[in-house]
Amino acid sequence: MSTTLPTRTEQDAEKPTGELVLRDVEKSFGVGENRVTAVDHINLTVKPGEFVTLLGPSGCGKTTTLRMIAGFESPTSGSVLLDGEDMLRLTPDRRPMAMVFQSYALFPHMTVFDNVAYGLKLRKVPAKQLKEEVGFALASMGLTALADRAPNQLSGGQQQRVALARAMVVKPKVLLFDEPLSNLDAKLRVQMRLEIRRLQRLLGISSVYVTHDQDEAMSLSDRIVVMRSGRIEQVGTPDEIYRTPESVFVADFIGRANFLDVTEASTSSREGHADITVLGQRMSARAHRDAVAAPESVLLVRPEAIRVRRFAEGDDKVAGNHGRVLNAVFYGESVEYEIETEVGTIVAVVSDPVYDEIVPVGDLVGISFDPERAWLLPAAS
Amino acid sequence: MTISNATVPRARRFSLRSRETPLDLTTRIAVVLVVLILGVLIVLPLVNILSSAVSEQGLAVFNSIFSSVNLQVLQNTVVLGVLVGAIGTVIGFLLAYVQVRLDFRGKKLLHLLALLPIVSPPFAVATAVITLFGRSGIITRDLLGITPTLYGLPGLTIVLSLSFFPAAYMNMLGLMRSLDPSLDEAAASIGANKWRTFVTVTLPMLVPGFASSFLLLFVEAIADLANPLVIGGDFTVLSSRAYIAITGEYNVGAGAAYSLVLLLPGLLVFLIQRYWATRKSVVSVTGKPAGRPAVITSIPARIVLLTLSGLLALLIVTIYATVIVGGFVKILGINNEFDLSHYRYVLSGIGSDAMITTTALALIATPIAGVLGLVIAWLITRKLRRGRALIDFLGMLGLAVPGTVLGIGYALTFNKPLGFGNVAILPALAGGGAVLGGAIAIVMVYVIRSSPSGQRSGVAALQQIDVAIDEASASLGASGVTTFRKVTLPLIRPALLSGLIYAFARSMTTLSPIIFITTPQTKIMTSQILSEVDAGRFGNAFAYCTILIVIVMSVIGLLNLFVRDSSVPKAAGLSSATIN
Amino acid sequence: MSLALLMSGCAVTSTDSGDDGSTGSDELGGSITIACGAMEDWCQAMTTAFTAETGVQANFVRLSSGETVARLDAARDNPEFDVWHGGPVDGFGAARDAGLLEAYDSPNAAAIPDKYKDADHYWTGVYVGALGFCSNTKVLDELGVDVPESWEDLLDPKLKGQISTAHPSPSGTAFTTLWTQVTRLGGEEEGLEYMKKMHNNVLQYSKSGTAPGQIAGRGEVAVGLVFSHDCVKYQEEGLTDLTVSFPKEGTGYEIGGVALVKGSKNKTAAQAYIDWTLTAEAQNIGPTVGSYQVLTNPDAAVDDRMVKLEDVEFVDYDFVAAAAAKPGLTARFDAEIAAQPKE
Ligand SMILES: Nc1ncnc2c1ncn2[C@@H]1O[C@H](COP(=O)(O)OP(=O)(O)O)[C@@H](O)[C@H]1O
Ligand SMILES: [Mg+2]
Repeated sequence: MSTTLPTRTEQDAEKPTGELVLRDVEKSFGVGENRVTAVDHINLTVKPGEFVTLLGPSGCGKTTTLRMIAGFESPTSGSVLLDGEDMLRLTPDRRPMAMVFQSYALFPHMTVFDNVAYGLKLRKVPAKQLKEEVGFALASMGLTALADRAPNQLSGGQQQRVALARAMVVKPKVLLFDEPLSNLDAKLRVQMRLEIRRLQRLLGISSVYVTHDQDEAMSLSDRIVVMRSGRIEQVGTPDEIYRTPESVFVADFIGRANFLDVTEASTSSREGHADITVLGQRMSARAHRDAVAAPESVLLVRPEAIRVRRFAEGDDKVAGNHGRVLNAVFYGESVEYEIETEVGTIVAVVSDPVYDEIVPVGDLVGISFDPERAWLLPAAS
Repeated sequence: MTISNATVPRARRFSLRSRETPLDLTTRIAVVLVVLILGVLIVLPLVNILSSAVSEQGLAVFNSIFSSVNLQVLQNTVVLGVLVGAIGTVIGFLLAYVQVRLDFRGKKLLHLLALLPIVSPPFAVATAVITLFGRSGIITRDLLGITPTLYGLPGLTIVLSLSFFPAAYMNMLGLMRSLDPSLDEAAASIGANKWRTFVTVTLPMLVPGFASSFLLLFVEAIADLANPLVIGGDFTVLSSRAYIAITGEYNVGAGAAYSLVLLLPGLLVFLIQRYWATRKSVVSVTGKPAGRPAVITSIPARIVLLTLSGLLALLIVTIYATVIVGGFVKILGINNEFDLSHYRYVLSGIGSDAMITTTALALIATPIAGVLGLVIAWLITRKLRRGRALIDFLGMLGLAVPGTVLGIGYALTFNKPLGFGNVAILPALAGGGAVLGGAIAIVMVYVIRSSPSGQRSGVAALQQIDVAIDEASASLGASGVTTFRKVTLPLIRPALLSGLIYAFARSMTTLSPIIFITTPQTKIMTSQILSEVDAGRFGNAFAYCTILIVIVMSVIGLLNLFVRDSSVPKAAGLSSATIN
Repeated sequence: MSLALLMSGCAVTSTDSGDDGSTGSDELGGSITIACGAMEDWCQAMTTAFTAETGVQANFVRLSSGETVARLDAARDNPEFDVWHGGPVDGFGAARDAGLLEAYDSPNAAAIPDKYKDADHYWTGVYVGALGFCSNTKVLDELGVDVPESWEDLLDPKLKGQISTAHPSPSGTAFTTLWTQVTRLGGEEEGLEYMKKMHNNVLQYSKSGTAPGQIAGRGEVAVGLVFSHDCVKYQEEGLTDLTVSFPKEGTGYEIGGVALVKGSKNKTAAQAYIDWTLTAEAQNIGPTVGSYQVLTNPDAAVDDRMVKLEDVEFVDYDFVAAAAAKPGLTARFDAEIAAQPKE
């Protein structure tokens, strides 16, 4: 699978194209009582060549958004622009986009080769060139040997590769993915997402990818769009989303989180920080811009930011600085503790643990964290 | 999720632009054409005849519909429909299940036998069943020494179930071949035994198939006329009641009124089926194909299934053999002397005229009916949201309306030029005075009578194909028409083929509407058969039926060659319910 | 839908209603279409012979009486038929009452006895059929019953479930049976009373008038009640166990008619056809194709297989009264007899 697709598109693209803009897009289904707003006035710009993931719980409007981009649904209001051109005037087949479906949607009556060649044939690509390009696409996906097979003679992973090759070979300006990996087993899923990312980078095609799997989103995306109930909660790089989430919802949805109650918060002299009292201690932590002004705020501490040590006899017992181990799971590269404290259960992950030093269940441990790795957030309303 | 008050007026402001997924031009043209065609082919004749149901005599029928005699007729009709619907569906299911899930020698033969009754000329099956199993039947009296009375509900149920079950068979076969076997496997892997897997996984997946088969058979059974006349005895159903009103009491108004009542149970079943089928999603061709269904190896199951289907096959063979033999003996069951005179009679003069005319007209009607049914199916499953129930219903009307009423409706409507004021839009199409000797009206009747089967098989096939496959094609740049041509059509080719086969077989065997629009120029085989039966010349009738069967079978063979496309990968695993 | 309604209301009115439908010339020619109510080969033989004789192209469509009336009615504004030939005259009466026929007093009708003609010349009789018992001798032998010779014989308990007759509503034959009882016994009540008694022996009331002959011919029942010429026809076709007999108390009969269709487009030829059907020569064609009804023209040849009218006792059958009583009587039959269980 080390073969590469011809890099023609990169050469063709003197000026990068594929800037996708969603402006105030809304979609409602039904009327009257039954009216459901599936997508609620969202704004989003996908830069040329960028890989953007729509992430959110099921039913939050990801698929609907993607289908409006593709043209399978039309927005109730708002506009969809590609390189400045209004897409809403165009039927799906006229839009320079290609979509990869959760169910693969391979044409069961065509061979692998014909499936991949389908889009090129529609574009009246001359026979020789068609053969070449399909050949390259198949090769880049490791499908060459399977070219004459029917789709139902392929494994799930192979079918997904065909679906990918079929969409990419037409060199669309935008690639759309709707949970394309959700039907694969865990290992294949990891392998395929690397594959997708590699090819997308190579081709430089702007991509919008829908998933509810945060790992997938984190590993694939240039930027992640976190959606909730039809609205965008946050747009940012995986790092931003993880370290500086906009809301408790985002913090909770991406990765795992400990939320500590904050009793006092005031503006800090340090840029982007706030002075807070948490677990009875006064400290200065990184803070969301609205956190201080909010009536209530919480401190997000990721499990890996929690430090755990054996509790020594005679240590100070301040509320929150210690707890009893409820559960300890050894993963090899890390150990995960569930610790019962006076302020609730806290999850901590200690990396690269020495097996003998793992604190056994039932023992007391001391816990602490570095305020620079914490994040102050307005509490959820 | 909060929909703030502020967004409401905003939505309203944009509501001028808001719409459901817009219809492209092709779709719009298709809708207009279909509505126009259905309007002329079925709505217009029906409106014409039903307006006579609102006459004095018609209203008298409505007033007396709850009299005990009429209630009995209504009840008979529903009982017959339910019995035939249920039994025919079960037979179809059994044979399809055996076909898909069992490996045995003679499988192909069983398939062919299961399809044979598609061609059941009027009177053939009924007459053969009486000859074999009647009071003086060859099998019943001569072999078994019993004298059962078949006339009435028992005979009707047997004959109609045997005549109509192939529709259920084809339906089920297509469905089961394309069911995702991984579901069965999944159920098996979580510990369900074979029987539980069957009951909890396979059967629910087939519910829409059961529902649509039942509907089709129910509607066909209650609209059938020839069999209630031949073998119905005392057992009067609405279709024969309507026929009696028209031909025995010279009362077209009353006949139309009975027919209107006849549409009610049909409409009801139709609505129930729609409700049911739309609640259960049965997408099974997702473009995420899986392997072949597992073969059943359990010995007791094999014995039971094979015995049952063997008996059915034997019954079908016996009946059709009777028809064929009947053409070669003086009078079957009475004077079994070999005799070629029937064929001599049938193949000369009127007989061969009728053969050629009927075949030609049916051949013209078949592609039109097939395409019409398919386009309607495509519109209602893929394109339309609003109004699709109406179009679905209008499309099915041609089957649900008793042929007698349809025939008179045609005579009423198309005997004279049609138009606004004095501007003729259509010349007279029916009757001796019409263009082409009234052949056009006959083709029209064939089309409207047979397109419903194409429509049903099209709907069943399209419902199984994931919309994502269409969308994938569109997303790769194919227009609606291209997608239909290159993706949808090849995928539903088996359905198209079975639709065409039905259309042809049905056209060739349609009788009751034809009686009212045949002309001297257009002699139709079925009405010749009727004459021969009337005259007691069963040999001639059987000879006609045999020839009719041979014609239909040959055309089916040709259709198979014609509609098959060798470019399909062999292993595509799609159902191909074809007659080879 | 609304379009359809509109169109259905606006059939184009024909503009050539000025002339009365005749071609305006006395020359015979063109073609005519016959609605033929008899057996297919009878119709075929008649039209072929007429064409040979006159050069007028005569075509036919074979239809039952009810079908003919329905078709004539549907095409009232643009008639497709010129002549109705064959089939029982109660249908002709219905067509006349519906204004579908035109009176025509053929010069040749003078030869036909008055009892076989409509008083107002709307139809003229071409043949007569006598209602009889069509029995299967083999079955009768097995049952140990003699060939029935009277209506009373049909009430023999040994014949339980062994009689086949049609329902008088769809079948003219069966109505003739019913009206014969009314006439013979002197009233509707008495007639229905007899039918009620016979009900116990009737297997089922079929829809087709001729079916009882076939059912008897196949040995499914012992006796079928049909017109004797139908029984003879089935004998000739090979149902050789059949035998015909007549009730000594008197039986009913039917008249087969010929009539001119109102608005015929070729009236001259149509009238010529009617004239021809009343000749002995035309009527003699019937027996050559296996139809052995009694012919109305006294000069027509008599065949051995025809009923000798003088040998059979007839009731005084009043066609006008029968037609008037039909709807009420059949409805009573439906409710009081057909729907009742058998003892
Ligand atoms: N065709 C439709 N008709 C009505 N409601 C719909 C339709 N499609 C989606 N919805 C509703 O819109 C919301 C968003 O759906 P979807 O975009 O599929 O969510 P996701 O892909 O994020 O899981 C859901 O509440 C869903 O029920
Ligand atoms: Mg989704």
